[in-house]
Amino acid sequence: MFKAIEVLQPNFIQRPLNELWQLISPLYNMDEEKWLNELLPLAKPTDAALKTCTDAATQLIEQVRKDDDSMSMIDALLLEYSLDTKEGILLMCLAEALMRVPDKATADAFIKDRLSVADWASHAKNSDSFFVNASTWGLLLTGKIVTMDEKHDGTPANLVNRMVNRVSEPVIRKAMNQAMKIMGHQFVLGRSIEEALSRGKSYRDKGYTYSFDMLGEAALTAADADKYLKSYEQAVESVGRDTYTKGYRPTISIKLSALHPRYEVGSEERVMTELFESVKGLITKARALNVGITIDAEEADRLELSLQLFEKLYRDESVQGWGLFGLVIQAYSKRALPVLAWLAALAKEQGDRIPVRLVKGAYWDSEIKLCQQRGINGYPVYTRKEATDTSYLACARFLLSEHTRANIFPQFASHNAHTIATISCLAQELGATTQEYEFQRLHGMGDALYNSLIKGNDICVRIYAPVGSHKDLLPYLVRRLLENGANSSFVHRLIDARCPVSELVDHPVTTLESRKSLANPNIKLPIDMFAERKNSFGPNIEIASDWGPFKAKIDAFMTQDTQWRAYPLVGGEKVETGQTHTVTSPYDHSETAGQIDWADAATVTKAIDLAEAAYPAWSSRPASERADCLDKTADLMEENYAELIALCHREAGKTIQDSIDEVREAVDFCRYYAQQARTNFAAPHTFTNYLGQEQSVQMTGRGVFTCISPWNFPLAIFSGQVVAALVVGNTVVAKPAEQTSLIAVRAIEMMHQAGVPTDVLHLLPGDGATVGAPITSDKRIAGLAFTGSTGTAQLINRTLAARGVAPVPVIAETGGQNAMLIDSTSLPEQVVRDAVRSAFASAGQRCSALRVMFVQEDIADRVIPMIKGAMQEQSVGLPYLHSTDVGPVIDKKAQTMLLEHIERMKVEGKLIGETALPAFADKGTYVAPAAFEIASIDQLTDEKFGPILHVVRYKAKDLDKIIDTINNSGFGLTMGVHSRNETTCARIARRARVGNLYINRDQVGAVVGVQPFGGQGLSGTGPKAGGPHYLQRFAIEKQL
Amino acid sequence: MTIVQPVQIQVADKVFEAWDSLGVQGRDELLARTLTLFPEAQRKMAVWQIANAQQEIADTLTMEGPTGENNELSTQGRGAFLCLSNDESDAATVGLVGQVFAALIAGNPVITVGLKGQEIMDKIATSVPEGVIQNIAESALDSIVEANNLAGIAILCDDAAAQVLNQRLAAKSGLICQLVIENDSQNLTTIAAPHYILRFVTERAISINTTAIGGNATLLELGSLDE
Repeated sequence: MFKAIEVLQPNFIQRPLNELWQLISPLYNMDEEKWLNELLPLAKPTDAALKTCTDAATQLIEQVRKDDDSMSMIDALLLEYSLDTKEGILLMCLAEALMRVPDKATADAFIKDRLSVADWASHAKNSDSFFVNASTWGLLLTGKIVTMDEKHDGTPANLVNRMVNRVSEPVIRKAMNQAMKIMGHQFVLGRSIEEALSRGKSYRDKGYTYSFDMLGEAALTAADADKYLKSYEQAVESVGRDTYTKGYRPTISIKLSALHPRYEVGSEERVMTELFESVKGLITKARALNVGITIDAEEADRLELSLQLFEKLYRDESVQGWGLFGLVIQAYSKRALPVLAWLAALAKEQGDRIPVRLVKGAYWDSEIKLCQQRGINGYPVYTRKEATDTSYLACARFLLSEHTRANIFPQFASHNAHTIATISCLAQELGATTQEYEFQRLHGMGDALYNSLIKGNDICVRIYAPVGSHKDLLPYLVRRLLENGANSSFVHRLIDARCPVSELVDHPVTTLESRKSLANPNIKLPIDMFAERKNSFGPNIEIASDWGPFKAKIDAFMTQDTQWRAYPLVGGEKVETGQTHTVTSPYDHSETAGQIDWADAATVTKAIDLAEAAYPAWSSRPASERADCLDKTADLMEENYAELIALCHREAGKTIQDSIDEVREAVDFCRYYAQQARTNFAAPHTFTNYLGQEQSVQMTGRGVFTCISPWNFPLAIFSGQVVAALVVGNTVVAKPAEQTSLIAVRAIEMMHQAGVPTDVLHLLPGDGATVGAPITSDKRIAGLAFTGSTGTAQLINRTLAARGVAPVPVIAETGGQNAMLIDSTSLPEQVVRDAVRSAFASAGQRCSALRVMFVQEDIADRVIPMIKGAMQEQSVGLPYLHSTDVGPVIDKKAQTMLLEHIERMKVEGKLIGETALPAFADKGTYVAPAAFEIASIDQLTDEKFGPILHVVRYKAKDLDKIIDTINNSGFGLTMGVHSRNETTCARIARRARVGNLYINRDQVGAVVGVQPFGGQGLSGTGPKAGGPHYLQRFAIEKQL
Repeated sequence: MTIVQPVQIQVADKVFEAWDSLGVQGRDELLARTLTLFPEAQRKMAVWQIANAQQEIADTLTMEGPTGENNELSTQGRGAFLCLSNDESDAATVGLVGQVFAALIAGNPVITVGLKGQEIMDKIATSVPEGVIQNIAESALDSIVEANNLAGIAILCDDAAAQVLNQRLAAKSGLICQLVIENDSQNLTTIAAPHYILRFVTERAISINTTAIGGNATLLELGSLDE
């Protein structure tokens, strides 16, 4: 970690560029406490400076509040419909989705859904803003605000609801759409640059200028990227033609994710060539027309990639010497300061100046969520608002320093009066003139603040203004607002006269230093997310400092020199049976991962003998001791993470992220079941029995458990079954899948190393006939956990039943015919992203994978081509490469079956798209992801366990019939739903007979203890793996 | 190929969704009306099964997880359940009542058998929607046992009978039918245990991406909590 204060030394940015670059990545998830202690001295004012900036901020706020017209319309809207009210959120949800709903029935249902759950009437006439009142539903619905005021029946809360029911639906829909257009008009400056320039003239007369933003979704297809590029080009041309001569010239802000469907680290090569060329073309045009270009900031994962691209563009002759090519830096990022130092050095080296917009950051919520989901070791952003504000001021001090000003033109974007006042004071303190920096604000927000500022100061204030169709942009802007509600807080408080000025002018450093800890203890680190157990961690493969060292460890296991040699493990002995099988890599059959001996009949018998003999001692051990073994196993798996990932690649053909997720799931199973066992199995449980007497029961093991697991989660499912059986007190004979036994051997070795006695746990690699049959037909088997096909589960169940002994528990997780239901309120971009991941990730070889997508016919013609386009951007390839999205399928048998189905579908269905295969595909067992449109789910007889998606169109009115059809398939594993209509979601949830339902997200990747996993009907017996009831089924409730 | 289910299974399947949708609380309210009709020992068992269900499965559990997601776990019935006893003793009848109430309160439609079944059904049928509980003659038992859509059988019987039944069920195609056995008709050690109810349910996990629709209020709240 570098000394932050050193950036203030003029010679700091004279260091070699590469040296400064090296400072950036390690700060990605740096310990927040440590790093803030570094930053604080840069942001901490002297007593005199504190007083000056507090006075200035106070004066600014008082000026704003004195101004009767101070509240912009969006400000007013946020004040009335604050995002901490139900109505605020529902209003925004309506705004986010309504305008894209093409069919009347769904629109009507959606409106009814939104309006029926909140107290809209309470907002009527609360606001002084005409716009807000106009947006309040009573007015818009009927124009009968007078009626509402009269509260003629004394129940205003239900008035709107009654109106909804009373007024005919077309009227309501029309009114609602009109309301959304009004809102859109406020959020969006113009539908075209020409309109925006025209509407913006009055502000430019006041001294403002603009940065126009053709906002939109990230492109998922090449066609979308092309569309956005043309849109940017037109914007540049329009601004270039602008004849307004007064003041500062407008610029254009661009979003790189809109210009390339794969703007991500895994596609670095494409970003640095294809995206580079697109942006370069745009820059060339912009430079010729003297229109500045700013690259917007996006998610933290893309920061380093964006800087690499920026550097390449900046050094290109098309940019050299221009000075109007800039970018945005987010102060909530721990990497902000070294990035700024690197940019200053880059500019110094080239002799130009880079415009840099310093923002606080708009993706805070999703950054926190993503890190928690992926188990990242820390956060890339600060967890307190005041820490971000402190970072902002620390960065500002660097940017305004004399030695930086020559290289960077700072553009401070904020709606916080205190920040603005402090920046002004800081500039004065450091001798920066108002010509050496500018302020920026969002269109429709902070008008009053900046009107006050601009009146008394000769300073440039640039308005960041969205331009485009309301239908496209309002949803996007509202989503940003919803996703980052925290950002609205200052604006809200500023204009809320009830909030004392003194509460708004606290210096962030003062606030931060008053905290017991600099990091927010309420936002737990991803690893501490669960109260009673440690979360598994995962490296972030998008971040060089996190992934680089980790990858190096994996690489050590990836050469052909590393070959695993494995045997059945019985009583801790490696049993050489002579039945040796070579394990080939699914992606290249000329490569091997190692060799394994399969168990023979004698080995199987010996394993069961030993397991039976070991049961009494193992089951009598305290549950806490057995749980300790699981915790230790989890730790060992994390210690051997790299080897396990390499095995996932080489033996199972799993991609990098899939392999990480695999290890994480195994680790989570161990820790979750350990915690469950401590809670529920350690001591007898006392209850009052049906006769009213106190009674105690103790959960104990049952005896020898058979565990049979599949190849698709060769570590996670395998380990989950085994440790669940063990921790309860059973002994175990485990049969891994034939294709993936090497990783199972390592798992068992780790369990033994962790303290599970070698006579308690035995591994029997082999086929169904030699191993599977005897471990299901032996009379001593006291229970079975199985994951695999429905047919095999039935066969095993028959074998167990035929033994002539008392029935034993059969815990079977089997197949699915998983569906996703998509209605017309859903967001197509999100649908396509989630559907592609759900259907094709892991080459579709997940129990939970999407097989049949039902799309409401009204949006099918929009969604289906997007799926095709997104499939064309998928990369099928070597699973150990970051650029690969889809790896091989497991073996030749699977490949043949899938290819046959694809051929059948090409005849019986309509091909939507097929992803290209790599040139070397013949070396392994690859299946190109394919999607087909079919008429009905009835065309499918059984599950096709691979990357094949089927799409069915449905009419909105037939939703219940569709649910019936899915239920009638008999399978009931997972289902995805995409709808903004909560009533629809609840209806599907109530009716669909599935074990795992996922709403407005993908439908794969269940997390242990968070989304317990398992189906019903033909999809499994339950209880759910990774859930609170799973262990009970492995145990007997023994009365004491 | 369309497999025709016995009419009782068809009836049960038809009412299943509505019965299951009532939730434990809703079913409790209906079943509670029947309790006074049962003799004391049977009533105690029925009361206990309902109370135990309230304790074990009534609540939807909110699962700990990342911000911006809402994860819940709840239970549902499995479908048509056959409840019967091979033992005619009074104690076994208490057990049978326990089976029926456990199956019903968990959300399943129930089919009982013969005279003992009829007595129980007569006490319950008027308080629950039609079809939620049905009784069949002994002669119809085989067709129900063989039905593919039968979700489970709860039976009081000895080990030998259990094995035979288990083999019959395993021989069927379709879903793996749950066999919930009580072989201790005097003490009812299985039926009267707290986790017995879990054999009658399936679990449902729902994961909602709350950031897609309505923001991330949890994090907003966490970020501004007073310390």
